[in-house]
Amino acid sequence: DGVAILPAPQNLSVHSTNMKHLLMWSPVVVPGEIIHYFVEYQGEYESLYMSHIWIPSSWGSPTEDPECDITDDITATVPYNLRVRASLGSQTSAWSTLQHPFNRNTTILTPPVMEVTKDGFHLVIKLEDLGPQFEFLVAYWRREPGAKEHVKVVRSRGIPVHLETMEPGVPYCVRVRTLVKAIGRHSPFSQAECVKVQGETLPL
Amino acid sequence: AVLCISGGLPKPTNITFLSINMRNILQWSPPEGLQGTEVTYTVQYFIYGQKKWLNKSECRNISRTCCDLSVETSDYEHQYYAKVKAIWETNCSKWAETGRFYPFLETQIGPPGIALTTDERSISIVLTAPEKWKRNPEDSSLSMQQIYSNLKYNVSVYNTQSNRTWSQYVTNHTLVLSWLEPDTLYCVHVESFVPGPPRLARPSEKLCVRTLKDQTSAVKV
Amino acid sequence: GLRRCLISMDIHHIEETFQEIKKTIQAKDTFQNVTILSTPETLHSIKPLDVCCMTKNLLAFYVDKVFKDHQELNPQILRKISSIANSFLYMKKALQRCQEQRQCHCRDEATNATRIIHDNYDQLEVRSAAIKSLGELDVFLAWIDKNHQGPSA
Repeated sequence: DGVAILPAPQNLSVHSTNMKHLLMWSPVVVPGEIIHYFVEYQGEYESLYMSHIWIPSSWGSPTEDPECDITDDITATVPYNLRVRASLGSQTSAWSTLQHPFNRNTTILTPPVMEVTKDGFHLVIKLEDLGPQFEFLVAYWRREPGAKEHVKVVRSRGIPVHLETMEPGVPYCVRVRTLVKAIGRHSPFSQAECVKVQGETLPL
Repeated sequence: AVLCISGGLPKPTNITFLSINMRNILQWSPPEGLQGTEVTYTVQYFIYGQKKWLNKSECRNISRTCCDLSVETSDYEHQYYAKVKAIWETNCSKWAETGRFYPFLETQIGPPGIALTTDERSISIVLTAPEKWKRNPEDSSLSMQQIYSNLKYNVSVYNTQSNRTWSQYVTNHTLVLSWLEPDTLYCVHVESFVPGPPRLARPSEKLCVRTLKDQTSAVKV
Repeated sequence: GLRRCLISMDIHHIEETFQEIKKTIQAKDTFQNVTILSTPETLHSIKPLDVCCMTKNLLAFYVDKVFKDHQELNPQILRKISSIANSFLYMKKALQRCQEQRQCHCRDEATNATRIIHDNYDQLEVRSAAIKSLGELDVFLAWIDKNHQGPSA
């Protein structure tokens, strides 16, 4: 009846960076044919309490590419089982299941892209929008001996944020790291960027 | 109550609560095809978990398409339903009912009051927390901050000369923007924000103020 | 204790997830005159000292009972419920660890309030009880959020 003639997809793996999770596998090749893949997931809740339940992925059921963005499926910090099967017309392969369940707390966190600018005497930072789960820990200081580092937690979502009013002639430096409360982790700090307000003019 | 043939009219449509700072107004649209006719409406409300529907006497046989249920829904930690039916001559519609209304989560937080004062190089912004709706003007005021302890303000500042905008979240009620450009028009608007489930927001009006001309000549060091 | 026990938790994301299915779920609850969580003797009467234990008990109520008793056919809603269920499972385990470290103390007050909720649940037919409890998730989540922030008005 057309079941399991197709080989099951192999080499399943998850690539996860900044809470974006991509499930990948080796393509099933039938010359001249387009293979469709169906991806399903099961959180720890389902595997413990409803082991028969597998949920079709939001974006990968079906898909023609040997990969599927499972970011919208992995929405809790628990282990998730993932499986894929191939389909060609009435033929479907067996399920191929990810060897180890995936937990989003293993995602790779990288420092955000930042743009440090000034508007007159005002130090302003603009940070990339990495999504609602991200906060940014912004550290800034005056580049001079004994300067104290100030810290601000920002959820800017791509809008310029005011950091400090600068004194002319003194360089101000900024570095940033991402914070993801949902997994209790943060990225390394970015490189520091410094700006200075020119001029020795001191308004009275 | 005058008896009418139920279902003789189509139901009112788009029945929802419009809630701002816990002022909860039920509003709806006339039944299809009956705009402009002399239809009247009757409203009832229900406290979730209680036993029966209750009348709102001031909204019996009314011709307007809204009804203020702020008093009846003032306990913002409860949930409510409301329903309205249309009456025209001897016919009336079936009830049109809202979904479950939860003021604590659904009310829109109005913008704070804003006062701006300026000198040559600074603007001071004084914010007044939005107030919870109150039945009588002489009743004591309750700030929305007392209901939402994590209420913050998103202050956006637009420098009309550099065409640059920046914002900052503040929790206290005074903010001084210093070392600004003299003789420059700055525009400010402020939005109240409560972290939590998405909530409609009502940004303030945009207020603009010009910093004063630089009265003194700059001193070279 | 709730703040200390539930450090890495994004309650707002769970609230957003529920908000997307709330109208659909609540519309299926036809018993408007009955509530499971919102009786005066339950959530609204819990003292700060009992918040952590009550949270743990209610997470267990949802994970062990409500989500199992509710059978969802719509895949969109199933995804959202799965997301909430797995988040609750994560939080429940975090609070259980906290209890083992004696930072989530349980007193009779929380136990009695929990029993009232279970009694309210058991008085309804199981599917109706499950859909009603799901429909009241906004009450539970708002209560957690309020107590997770610390003392307020």
